[in-house]
Amino acid sequence: MAVTHEEVRQAKAIAPFKFNLKPMIMGLIVLIMIFGGARWYQQWAAWDYGLDATDPMFDKYWMRVFWGEIIVEVTLFFSFVGYLWMTRDKHLNNLKPREELRRLMLWVSMLVVYAFAFYFAGSFYAEQDATWHQTVVRDTSFTPSHIFLFYMSMPVFIILGFSLFFYAITRLPFFARKISIALVLVVCGPFMLLPTVGYNEWGHAFWLMEEYFTVPLHWGFVFFGWTIIALSGVLIQVMKYMVELLPKVINEKGELTS
Amino acid sequence: MKLTTNEATLLSAVTTPNSDAARISRGLDMFVVAILFFAIIAAFHIHIMLTVGDWDFWVDWKDRMYWVTATPMLLIFIPAALSYPFMMKFGLPIAGTLCALCLVIGEWISRIVGFHLWTYFPYSMIWPAIVLPGLMLMDLVLLLSRNLFITSIFGGSAVAFAFAPANWPILAPYHEPVVHMGQLVNVADMIGYSFTRTATPEYLRFIERGTLRTFGGESTLISTGFSGFVCMILFFVWWKIGEWLTNLGTIPNVVKKHVGLGDDDDEK
Repeated sequence: MAVTHEEVRQAKAIAPFKFNLKPMIMGLIVLIMIFGGARWYQQWAAWDYGLDATDPMFDKYWMRVFWGEIIVEVTLFFSFVGYLWMTRDKHLNNLKPREELRRLMLWVSMLVVYAFAFYFAGSFYAEQDATWHQTVVRDTSFTPSHIFLFYMSMPVFIILGFSLFFYAITRLPFFARKISIALVLVVCGPFMLLPTVGYNEWGHAFWLMEEYFTVPLHWGFVFFGWTIIALSGVLIQVMKYMVELLPKVINEKGELTS
Repeated sequence: MKLTTNEATLLSAVTTPNSDAARISRGLDMFVVAILFFAIIAAFHIHIMLTVGDWDFWVDWKDRMYWVTATPMLLIFIPAALSYPFMMKFGLPIAGTLCALCLVIGEWISRIVGFHLWTYFPYSMIWPAIVLPGLMLMDLVLLLSRNLFITSIFGGSAVAFAFAPANWPILAPYHEPVVHMGQLVNVADMIGYSFTRTATPEYLRFIERGTLRTFGGESTLISTGFSGFVCMILFFVWWKIGEWLTNLGTIPNVVKKHVGLGDDDDEK
């Protein structure tokens, strides 16, 4: 064997690459707890206390939840985004490829959490909203369905989306050198679902729109939902970049070199 | 096709069994699969529920006019858009099948947890339409032809032509006639009367127009034909939208100096 002692020593010094799955798993568990807990609360409190917005019990069991959500979400948004900006890497020009790879994999793993959160807003709680409002006459914008769809599920993925965006532009040179339009669409498009609620509530306040769930009033959500297709653009950008990045940390045999 | 040095190194590295490169590559693949799974459920489901919506929610809305006409047209948007990156970037003509499976999973979770367990509608009233056959056929045409125009014409129209036949076996029993308070209705209508949707007036469920009925038994076929024609166009249009969204570029980052990057770092 033509392997020198020095080569063996060097090979031992290169730590194996490990995927840091802990943030992703923790994120998924936290989301399951939040969304599962909210669904349980709906089952418990919607029919008993959520039918009449003028009932004091509605204030107690639903509006308190609403205001609590708003306070927590605004706090979390500025905490996450502020933390990511304040602790940014100020020397991205000197970032080692191995560290860049670690960060990129962590970021992609957190995209799983973002997509999972978007599932609850775009699928689970969104369609559930149809069955509630076509069954129960709406007398407020803050219904048991909306309090968890518009004011919890949507802010959750918006917080995650903006956090991922700020992580990308403060820690990943690939996304920091130039801003990816696909990434902007993936974050800002779904974000626009929340402002669209304003248009939605305006329409519902003046007309009985429950007759159809497919009313044009709802198509703003559809339009901005389409922007998530740009995720394919983001993933392809990441994969193309991996073609540049991986050869910097591996050799032809697939072994790590740094 | 000639590979660059980086590509050649990477190809050799990731094809070496049990290597670090292969492990990293597989890990990335798994993340991408999970991201696509949840994102497609969300994107396709919100699109369908707010465009096809009511016709898909309720058995008494599943008619021969709007349901058969509109559903395939609206079904094709997201699968066509995703066919571009899947086929052109990965050589995988699977977007239609994948979208259909994701939609069915998202819809059934919602119908069980929301419609059935929360608002107590029976499954016989709230089953989602079967969309898999048409979208699989669309993929099949793309697989065999590898051509946008042929897939638009034959694959796009297949989504419409397979829709009514795929759903007919499950829908037919609900269209059996019933006389209710002197009126001729069908089983689906009776289920609708029994499980009241307070906000949805009953007159909306009688949505077939008289002129359509003069075509006798051909209503479904006529609706399907029109839908197929529009699907051909929509597949092409949404493929192009998918192409545009997949190949979006970049814009300058005006705050990059705050992370230690200068103008000379752009080309690195």
